This record gives sequence, structure tokens and C-alpha cells, in this order.
Amino acid sequence: MSSRLRRLSVGRAFIADNRFEAVSLSRVAAQSSMSPSHFLRLFSDVYGETPNEFLIRLRVEQAKAMLVTESASVSDICERVGYTSLGSFSSLFSKRVGMAPTAYRRRLWAMSAEHFRFPVQAIPACYAFHFLGKAPN
Amino acid sequence: MITGIAHVTVYVLNQDEALDFYQNKMGFEVGMDVTVEGGFRWLTVRVPSAPALELVLAEPKEGPMFSKDAAEKIRGLIEDGAFGVGVFETQDCQKTYDELVAKGVEFMQPPTEQFYGIEAMGTDNSGNWFSLTQQTS
Repeated sequence: MSSRLRRLSVGRAFIADNRFEAVSLSRVAAQSSMSPSHFLRLFSDVYGETPNEFLIRLRVEQAKAMLVTESASVSDICERVGYTSLGSFSSLFSKRVGMAPTAYRRRLWAMSAEHFRFPVQAIPACYAFHFLGKAPN
Repeated sequence: MITGIAHVTVYVLNQDEALDFYQNKMGFEVGMDVTVEGGFRWLTVRVPSAPALELVLAEPKEGPMFSKDAAEKIRGLIEDGAFGVGVFETQDCQKTYDELVAKGVEFMQPPTEQFYGIEAMGTDNSGNWFSLTQQTS
């Protein structure tokens, strides 16, 4: 790994480690010893997404797990994954997942036979069949 | 037309230990880590700069596809090094090798010139072998 890519990965890891906090691009770029514009350009080139898109993806993935495995309210989960506005969170979630957080929770809970567990339909059917003996619907 | 590969199974002896290895030593990131109904832990990891392919870290356990005897045989084969993960790519085999060795990753072959590039061979902490390859450009 080149020195530049190693420094970039430090900044990316910083985003991941602080994904539930409000962290500015300049602070992240400083972790990589780069200017914000250089960090932004290189990050997008290497990882195929902007730092902000990466952050949103991490937060939404965490929110998806929490929505299914916990009983906390959507607004509580919204705050815990780093958003202060429920509207912004719902909008970002819907854009990524294709449905609102409440609808996502309702749908996966309805599919699962066990409380607070992901339904078997959430994983590829070949794995469900292989490890759980669940035939595809 | 098939356009890609999304998931590949790697049988490991212990998912927690395998996760620690791939995340903290190899530099992979978690794709999904959820328990689905039936108790199966769906655990995937991926290379941050190549997230399209995820390794499914799965333990061979008695279940629909494996008898107790078969699961034990597979665990024995893993420990014996009968299985391989595949080839991990790097831009600098020697540097990455040095970094991984410093983190405690075990290699059976140091970086060696091959006609297709420079390659080292190592094992994960279950015993699955892998190649670390710097392809000839």
C-alpha cells in the first residue's frame, strides 16, 4: 500500500470510528494529512463514494440493524446513529433502503418468526437453505 | 449474463476470532453481522476499497446440511489447512507482508517472484490459506 493510500485509510477509519458523531471534513482530512479537497477527491477515486456517502451508508446500516433487533423508537435510533433531524434521517434512510424506517421495521418484523431477529429472508436464499434448511418461498 | 460475485463462503472455526483476524489484522470491514431467526449468525467482511465481494465467515455446525460427524470432519479439515480463501491483491506485496507479519499474521511463504507477480502465502487464524499477490502490471 502506498503512503498516500495508507494515509487515506487512516482518515476513512477515523470516519468509521466516529460515525455517530458530527465530524467535519477538514478534521477527517487532517487525520490523513491532506487538504479537504485532496482528501475528498482521492477518497472518491479509491472507494467509489464520497466520505459523506460512506458515513451515511454506515449510519443507515447500523440503523437497519437497530430497527430490527431493538424496540427503541425511530427517533431514538435516529439520534443514536448521529442525526439530529428525524426528517433528514428518514429521507436518507428511504433513499438508501427504498422505504421509510418505520416501514422497514414493520416489514422485517412481520417476516420474522422470532422477536428482534432478522428474518431468514434477509439473507441470500442459498445460505438460508444451507444453514437453516429454509427452502425459498 | 452474470455480472459479478457478491458472496463467497469461508468456513472458520470461530466467528468471533475470525472477525478479529479479518478486521483487525487484515484490514477488512464488517459488511453484515446479524443473527437471523433460527440462530444463524450472518457475518460478512469485505475489503474497504472493493466492497462488492463479501466473504461470509461461517462455522460448520451440525444442522440441515451437516451431520454432527460431517461438521466435525470439516472443522478438522480447516485445522489441517485443507481449504483456501483465495487471492488477496496488494499494490506492494513486501510492504503489506511486513505489515501483516508485524500484526501476527502467519505466512508459510514470504514474498516470492512468480511469473504473474510477487506472491506471499499465509493462513488465517482458522488455518485457511490465502495468497497475497502483487500482480505484474
